[in-house]
Amino acid sequence: MDRCPLSHQGSLQGRDETPVINFNIAAWRAWAPGLDSVADWQAWSQQPSVPAASDAAPDVSFLPAMQRRRLSRMARMAFSVGWPLAQGHEGLPLVFASRHGETPRTFDILSDLAADQPLSPTQFSLSVHNAVIGLWSIMRGETSEMTALAAAGDGLEHGLIEACALLNEGAPAVLLIITEEQPPQAYARWIDDVPFPYAVGLLLTPGKQWQVSLTSAATATGSAKAPWPHALNLLRHLHDGQASFQHVWNNRVWNWQHSL
Amino acid sequence: MSDLKSDIKQLIIDALGLEDISISDIGDEQTLFGEGLGLDSVDALELGLAIQKTYGIKIDADAKDTRNHFSNVASLAAFVTAKQAA
Repeated sequence: MDRCPLSHQGSLQGRDETPVINFNIAAWRAWAPGLDSVADWQAWSQQPSVPAASDAAPDVSFLPAMQRRRLSRMARMAFSVGWPLAQGHEGLPLVFASRHGETPRTFDILSDLAADQPLSPTQFSLSVHNAVIGLWSIMRGETSEMTALAAAGDGLEHGLIEACALLNEGAPAVLLIITEEQPPQAYARWIDDVPFPYAVGLLLTPGKQWQVSLTSAATATGSAKAPWPHALNLLRHLHDGQASFQHVWNNRVWNWQHSL
Repeated sequence: MSDLKSDIKQLIIDALGLEDISISDIGDEQTLFGEGLGLDSVDALELGLAIQKTYGIKIDADAKDTRNHFSNVASLAAFVTAKQAA
């Protein structure tokens, strides 16, 4: 049993000074409007497209009504992918990554402020970036380490580094949730990397099935950007069996290797 | 007064997102916070804001008797009526 593989390479340091992390993806779940089951995502992976705009939110009826009533769609997406992955795991650390967070809530709050209206305490308390992991902790009675990240377009990879650090410390498994909500129209000019709302959950365990290394691109803005947000692009590669691929964000080139 | 109680019940349901509850599920004398309906401190703030907005009254969060006014729908209705008359 290869319980703590990162230590073989001296934490995050690879042999040639290229940071390398390795891990196994024991299970995954994903949700987007109209895309829920494994079969849905298999079909999407073969022919990726933007699903029709929708206010649909995933079913979280496994939560008591009094607990789920305040959950935004983003929180519902995170819970719907994370909850089944966490079943049966005691003390499961969680890494939550979202670049833009609860933009509908923050936009509502800012609109109230602009109109000189008092702010909703609920909106305010749940607009912060770690609100989802706080709710997760309360609803599951989970007291393991939890981290909320807002990285750039490569939040998937930054989240994986964080998760691998936790695996390296001895966690038998780590849950990584990447989610983005469709931003309000007012932000459309600035936020162009959320083609549709989605959440991806990965149950990560120690292992070497996946290796990710980071190198620098010569140019500041990679012209070879991934065609989809990194977490969705990973879903495609979970299905197509490709042994290696790259995710480029700014000058950061993430080299993915998959050995079966 | 009875209409006001129904209005307040609907306000509670709408402002606090009680999707599975209807007006008939909330008793006039039912405790709102903690026991009874099971609302919490964030609900108290949200409900206070909704009452102030809807009825155009001011609520002093630090006043000693504010807690009593919020104990159930009947006490809230009496409070709103008194405030609007003042």
